Amino acid sequence: MATTACFIIVSRNDIPIYEAEVGVAAKREDAAQLHQFILHAALDVVQDLAWTTSAMYLKSVDRFNELVVSVYVTAGHTRFMLLHDSRNDDGIKSFFQDVHELYIKTLLNPLYLPGSRVTSSHFDTKVRALARKYF
Amino acid sequence: MANFLAQFQTIKNSSDRLVISVEDVSDLWPTVKPAFEARLPFKKASLNNKTRNPVLVETLPAEFILTTDSRLRSRFPQEQLLFWFREPYATVVLVTCEDLDEFKTILKPRLKLIVQNDEREWFIVFVSKAHPANDQASKMAKKVYAKLEVEFSSKKRERCCKYDMHFPEANFWEDLESKITECIRNTLDRRVQFYEDEIRKLSEQRLMPVWNFCNFFILKESLAFIFEMGHLHEDALREYDELELCYLETVNMSGKQRDFGGGERGDDQAAVLNPGNKALTQIVQEDSFREFEFRQYLFACQSKLLFKLNRPIEVASRGYSFIISFSKSLALHERILPFCMREVWVITACLALVEATTSNYNDGLMVPDIEKEFFLLLGDLYSLGRVKFMRLAYLVGYGTEIERSPVNSASLSLLPWPKPAVWPSVPADASSEVLDKEKLILQTTPRAKHFGIQRKPLPLEPTVLLREANRRRASLSAGNVFEIFDSRQGPVEGSGFDASSRMSPQKVHASSMSRTNSSPGNFDGSIDRPMRLAEIYVAAEHALKQTISNQELLKSLSSSEEFEQKYLELTKGAADNYHRSWWKRHGVVLDGEIAAVAFKRGHFDQAAKSYEKVCALYSGEGWQDLLAEVLPYLAECQKILDDQAGYLLSCVRLLSLDEELFSTKERQAFQSEVLRLAHSEMKNPVPLDVSSLITFSGNPGPPLELCDRDPGILSVTVWSGFPDDITLDSISLTLMATNNADEGVKALKSSTAIVLQPGRNTITLDLPPHKPGSYVLGVLTGQIGQLRFRSHSFSKIGPADCDDFMSYEKPAKPILKVFKPRALVDLEAAVSSALLINEHQWLGILVRPLNYSLRAAVLHIDTGPGLEIEKSHIIEMESCACVSQNDDGQGGAQVDSLNYEKRFERLTLDDGKVVFPNWASDTPSVLWVLIRAISDTLCRGSSSGTTRRESIVDGMRTIALKLEFGAFHNQTFERTLAVHFTYPFYVRTRVTDKCNDGTLLLQVILHSEVKATLTVYDAWLDLQDGFIHTGQTDGRPNSSFFPLIISPTSKAGILFSICLGKTNAEEEATKQPESILNIKYGISGDRTSGAHRPFLNESTGVDGVRQELIFKTAITLQRPVLDPCIAVGFLPLPSDGLRVGQLVKMQWRVERLKYLDEKEVSQQSVSLRKQKKEECLLHVRSLDEVLYEVNANSGNWMIAGRKRGHVSLSIKQGARIIISVLCMPLVAGYVRPPLLGLPDVDEANIRCKPAGPHLICVLPPALSSSFCIPVDS
Repeated sequence: MATTACFIIVSRNDIPIYEAEVGVAAKREDAAQLHQFILHAALDVVQDLAWTTSAMYLKSVDRFNELVVSVYVTAGHTRFMLLHDSRNDDGIKSFFQDVHELYIKTLLNPLYLPGSRVTSSHFDTKVRALARKYF
Repeated sequence: MANFLAQFQTIKNSSDRLVISVEDVSDLWPTVKPAFEARLPFKKASLNNKTRNPVLVETLPAEFILTTDSRLRSRFPQEQLLFWFREPYATVVLVTCEDLDEFKTILKPRLKLIVQNDEREWFIVFVSKAHPANDQASKMAKKVYAKLEVEFSSKKRERCCKYDMHFPEANFWEDLESKITECIRNTLDRRVQFYEDEIRKLSEQRLMPVWNFCNFFILKESLAFIFEMGHLHEDALREYDELELCYLETVNMSGKQRDFGGGERGDDQAAVLNPGNKALTQIVQEDSFREFEFRQYLFACQSKLLFKLNRPIEVASRGYSFIISFSKSLALHERILPFCMREVWVITACLALVEATTSNYNDGLMVPDIEKEFFLLLGDLYSLGRVKFMRLAYLVGYGTEIERSPVNSASLSLLPWPKPAVWPSVPADASSEVLDKEKLILQTTPRAKHFGIQRKPLPLEPTVLLREANRRRASLSAGNVFEIFDSRQGPVEGSGFDASSRMSPQKVHASSMSRTNSSPGNFDGSIDRPMRLAEIYVAAEHALKQTISNQELLKSLSSSEEFEQKYLELTKGAADNYHRSWWKRHGVVLDGEIAAVAFKRGHFDQAAKSYEKVCALYSGEGWQDLLAEVLPYLAECQKILDDQAGYLLSCVRLLSLDEELFSTKERQAFQSEVLRLAHSEMKNPVPLDVSSLITFSGNPGPPLELCDRDPGILSVTVWSGFPDDITLDSISLTLMATNNADEGVKALKSSTAIVLQPGRNTITLDLPPHKPGSYVLGVLTGQIGQLRFRSHSFSKIGPADCDDFMSYEKPAKPILKVFKPRALVDLEAAVSSALLINEHQWLGILVRPLNYSLRAAVLHIDTGPGLEIEKSHIIEMESCACVSQNDDGQGGAQVDSLNYEKRFERLTLDDGKVVFPNWASDTPSVLWVLIRAISDTLCRGSSSGTTRRESIVDGMRTIALKLEFGAFHNQTFERTLAVHFTYPFYVRTRVTDKCNDGTLLLQVILHSEVKATLTVYDAWLDLQDGFIHTGQTDGRPNSSFFPLIISPTSKAGILFSICLGKTNAEEEATKQPESILNIKYGISGDRTSGAHRPFLNESTGVDGVRQELIFKTAITLQRPVLDPCIAVGFLPLPSDGLRVGQLVKMQWRVERLKYLDEKEVSQQSVSLRKQKKEECLLHVRSLDEVLYEVNANSGNWMIAGRKRGHVSLSIKQGARIIISVLCMPLVAGYVRPPLLGLPDVDEANIRCKPAGPHLICVLPPALSSSFCIPVDS
């Protein structure tokens, strides 16, 4: 299990619509904000990189000291961004794929407005379970 | 071979171009040298690269050296092989000869000797000194040259060329150049081949213990150098790349612990671009090189070549990754390196790379994508240098100068501290510095956050410096007290004061103890005593002074101003380059850092601008956590700059951020700021957009539905994002029609103050009548104090999932629907059958609301002429169970009628108005109004022979109704009802029989005209003059027939027996022209179906008592007429028909039917008509003359001849005469023919044939151009 992992879903308008700290490390009070900052800055990299490949999983796109940003871009250009310190590439890929499936299920909810914040607690629980499973 | 390293280096440094040796056989070089050297460097030389592919080298520098030159002569053969790269690549043999014998005997053997050495690439230049004027000499020279060619050139290769000193041939230089190039190419190939073979040999031994990297390096670099001399930079670069790979392999592979290097003075300055920084001999170590220097050397060589290849971008990209990887190597060896060596090296390397690449970079020559990449790299380099610089600055105590922003915090707090073997300790003589630092620390107060935000500042250190430094020191001695308690300490602030103030009591004790120990002069030799923060700073500063050799960098760390200067420079560099590379997020964030410095320096204008950019980025992308960090600074700038509009907007944005980002107290502070400004005198009141803070939506559920012209009350849900109640002095809300964009938007206003509680509020607004259509909410505007605010329409389900940015996409829900005008109510007569005229009757008005409430409706009743409302003004209202007219509501209507409970109420008419009771608001009801239709005319009977002439209009009366209804009596409905009134009977008479005795039987037939049962109680006939009742009866039929009941729409008959009577003189005065039939009758009917018993006031009328009414009708009786006297017959017309414009003769035959008696002539002519009997009394002026007159419509006929005149007709019975008149028809079609009239004879005495008016057919005229029709006809 990774000690630090911050997962964020960014809508195609660059707005974070879901965030979760999924690491096991004792949470630093300010960690969330720093992680957000790093992930936000990594959007610059993603914007360049997303169009160079047809793959959805962009692998690690950015490094920040010991932390790595892995990104998965859906067809609708929603970005799943994970800030992590583990090297488990396969696990991260599977995690992204499973979250993608969950996200699609959320999208299918007629009461969910695409691009709005994902507030479903069920989604949150599932994502955290997936994180435990794969990291 | 490694011993040759020094020599190799010197040789390499001394020779930098290809050498072409000149064998000057005939002492010609001094003469031709200038011309030859003018050709250097060679242009567009074709060489082969390593893979033997031809490459065109743009410029190839070379040098001509005489073979007799000391540089070439003094070499040992062994050296020659090793340093082959410096040997001549071509040999030019310069000869001249003017005599064939001389050539054969002297020159040829000598040349043979020179060229026998196969190693060399040679060719001969024959210089002809012969003047062109001198034919003899030229010829000789040609001959000699021909011999030379024969001797030395082969078919395969031309090895000779001829140079005419006076007039060189046009293509000589080209020829020469190509020959030289060819030689160079061949030599190059050979030597490359040789080196490659050597390298291969050596590579095969790589895993053997005897292997020596230095030898490999010399060979490899020689090869690279050859390529470089030949300007084959690409190949040279490849050699260096291979060398680097090989070296890294060696370093990583061999388990030998080697000296890393980097410990020398000046090593802290990166030498990534200076290959000559250190002699290689200095860094050689056993069979290899020291890593620190050698890797930099390799990179420097590579970058040099890349610059020559004009690829500065690649330098930057390779450089960046080199710095990263090298920094890692430095980290591995940090224990043996000077304190913070790694950081210093990275800073210098980054700056050097930035400087070198930008100076070698030609702006605008690159493809945009590559250019973008380049700026990105520069940005990264600046950014890397910046982080390391901040780290150094923090160590020497400028931490308070560094903004605790997310970017700085993320960079620094995730970056581990330097890990020296031992943390530097305070030098002995630095006590005063320590004191100064301590004072400085005490003086600096942490920057107060605006709005009293209590947020914990972001960290700039990975762990507490105090602990880290002491731990590093303490690791020298085990079991240190500090270490023990420090391990229990939680994460605390970087500053020692924060730490001590938050420590546990035990901690405070320890801290205070350390402070007492640290009185000046008392810290000497206290190596095991924990250092205080100030001491750490001073120690680091001293250690850095030792490490840093770059004066500029040292100066940058010497004071906080200098630090700020450098910091700003690096930040700006990074920001600018990120912006140029379109990495706006990186760039804008750094702009924020520049803003922080500007803010600190008091340049608020500049700071505000930069902060605005940052805020725009974060808010645009909805990263609220990050926005919350910057926005207070922007607000503060705006406050200082007195930018009220901006400040207000910032406060609103702060308030509209997620609630958990700020505490309630902080949010209240924001709100109070807004209110303070709103209620203060604002210079320029600006509208404030509070869309994110005050949002509104219609109530859930279906929209409010209104009928056309109806006002209403609109209820709107307003969400307030303010933490406290807020009073809105006034608000107005616009509604926009969805179907009709150009319709003016109407605003609903509420001028009363509205207090909004935090969260959900419901406000109601009066809604004036709107045009039909559906409406959505538009803009909410309002006023708080002096402040005008507005909020744009987007609905929010609730604050929990508020998402301001996305709600634009939500479809607007209509909040109000105004229906198209439709019938809301229907007024009609409840009864369609006729009522009794001249009697008080109940007029039923059926009021049927059509899905619309008639609460408190007012009905105005206005009667038309001939109709009056009864004085008592009593109106009855009862509910009506009549089924609705909707076909689909059949079932529902039945249910209604089952549950129907009859309501009845008596109302009074007041001033022509009646107000509806409440129960009548939704159900259909009938209003009974007591009226009376007045008719002065007497009803007339008719004879059975004629058709009924009475028009239905006679009994028609109108009543105008106007219903005012709706919540505000805004709806009106007007209708004029036609009510039909009638007499109860319609009477027809006929004489049934004319008896021989002159008695006439007069039958009176009574038709019932009403839908009610009529009862005839009595009937009598008042006869007119000339008629009398037979017998002594008074004209009444036998009373035993009465009462006679007549059902609705049935008829009954009464027979009267009358006869012609004489007129006597008394009756002359009271003679009446008509007979009157009187009928006394009663009526029993229901007002719901038609005519009914007339209503009488309760006071007068007694219920149940027979109510008798009198019906009178006039009957005209005519006395029978005598025999006719004259017959007029219309003679037939010609059979071929009449045609327009054709004359036709009309003929009538007048015949006397009866002999005219003298007596009867004088008798007054009286006309009487009796059924089937006609008598004629002829009045004649002159007995045998008859006056005639032809009447014709002058439009249809033109009459020729006498229209009027007398004709003689004998008075004898049977006398006849024909009257003919010429006529011409003027129009075609069926027209009435002219009529013959006899004015002197009473009409009643003339029998006509045909009896009635008739039509004849007139054909259209035959086509004739000469015929004209009068226009006016």
